[in-house]
Amino acid sequence: MPAVGRPGPARFLLDGGERRSWSLSVLEVGLACCAVEFVAATAARPDLLVPDDGTAGERVEVLCVSGTVTDKLAPAVLALWEGLPEPKAVLSFGSCANSGGPYWDSYCVTKGVDQLLPVDVYVPGCPPRPESLVAGLRMLEERLASRVEPSS
Amino acid sequence: MTWADQVATAYDAGLAVPVTLEEGFGPLAVDVPATHWREAVTLARDVLGCGFFDWLSAVDELDEGFRVLCHLARRPQDGVPLAHLLVRTLLPRDAPVLPSVRDVFAGAGWHERETHEMFGIDFTADGAVLALEPLLLPEEFEGHPLRKDFVLASRVARPWPGAKEPGESDATVGRARRRPRPPGVPDEGTWRP
Amino acid sequence: MATVSDLPARSRGVIALIEENCTSCMLCARECPSWCIHIDSHQETDLPVGGGRPSTRNVLDRFAIDYAVCMYCSICVEVCPFDALHWAPEHEYAGAELVDLTHERDRLREWMWTVPPPDVLDEHAEPGKEVAAARKAATRRR
Repeated sequence: MPAVGRPGPARFLLDGGERRSWSLSVLEVGLACCAVEFVAATAARPDLLVPDDGTAGERVEVLCVSGTVTDKLAPAVLALWEGLPEPKAVLSFGSCANSGGPYWDSYCVTKGVDQLLPVDVYVPGCPPRPESLVAGLRMLEERLASRVEPSS
Repeated sequence: MTWADQVATAYDAGLAVPVTLEEGFGPLAVDVPATHWREAVTLARDVLGCGFFDWLSAVDELDEGFRVLCHLARRPQDGVPLAHLLVRTLLPRDAPVLPSVRDVFAGAGWHERETHEMFGIDFTADGAVLALEPLLLPEEFEGHPLRKDFVLASRVARPWPGAKEPGESDATVGRARRRPRPPGVPDEGTWRP
Repeated sequence: MATVSDLPARSRGVIALIEENCTSCMLCARECPSWCIHIDSHQETDLPVGGGRPSTRNVLDRFAIDYAVCMYCSICVEVCPFDALHWAPEHEYAGAELVDLTHERDRLREWMWTVPPPDVLDEHAEPGKEVAAARKAATRRR
């Protein structure tokens, strides 16, 4: 029985399958509606996105920014990124995280999380389907393979 | 006795100043003078049984000033149906000050913080203006965004893709000609409040 | 998870463009609430063979939709008077750079091949106007 204490954020592992020795560990930053699509993805495919209980081997941390980043919350998102250990990557999920989306004209919306963090993959949609999330994570996996696995 | 009658009777008896009722499109609204704001909200809670605080916000009514609204509800129980009440008051534009009702309804605290930062309305407690921390806006933010003279600068600054006529491109469009704007977006000259 | 063929025909995945139908009327660019459609065009004059009044027409130079800002509201598809824009259920087009999410004319045409046929009408419904027009044209040819 785990000790009762303050709950930590839920992390999900993208199943790398046989071909990889490492997995993507996704920390979802659920800011708005796109967070619901992330929840739908984890609920629909519990085999693809498994809760990360810390027992998996090598992992690459992925910060999945889902939803509108407001100027007020931007320091918190930055703090989350800085708290992640290397190797790490950012997935921008949805129009708001890509560019501010339909709220680009607002007085308090950051026009895209790439104003704060280095984004590796942008997933378009408003909101993107759960299938788009998995496809985006797979694309990120491909791009990271060259960075994480030494080319022989 | 209808809900409107109950409200009218309660305010006639309980408040020292006359109020006006409005039954229109939305919930029943009672307009009270700002001097008796706290008494009006307390009366709604204690006499009329409106124990549920929904929201408190404001509307920029331009020349009339700022209208502060408080939406309350009487919960349905024992055959007594759900009833809504909108308690409203008008504040002058140059000096928008209102006593806080955070001790009447604890939830009003956050709503007053938001109304303060969005409209610039000051809330007082015991005669002193409360120093309310911004709720939704970052510390460095200047201005009060929900006032109608606060222009959404992004749409003014960015060129509208629809400004071109059919058969025009960015290269050929005349710079001297006044570019059309979509409805609601002010002209470039007016974007400083 | 659903594949593209499982999704309903009117799923809003991506917007496709038939360039031949577009007259650069600018309605989609003007109605877009997010200002994400960029159109450049120029006018060309045609001189009909054998004399006659010259006519001008608009020729599209650039038609781009920025999917990084698009909110998939469908206003552009609905407002187009010439049915140049269509929804396709394709949804896996993530990009490594933000510019990869701006699709230009050629890419928007490629999406047309993924646009599904419209849903079959109920057997008691009125047939579509295009069906009656096509039948008329077919009988006229004979």
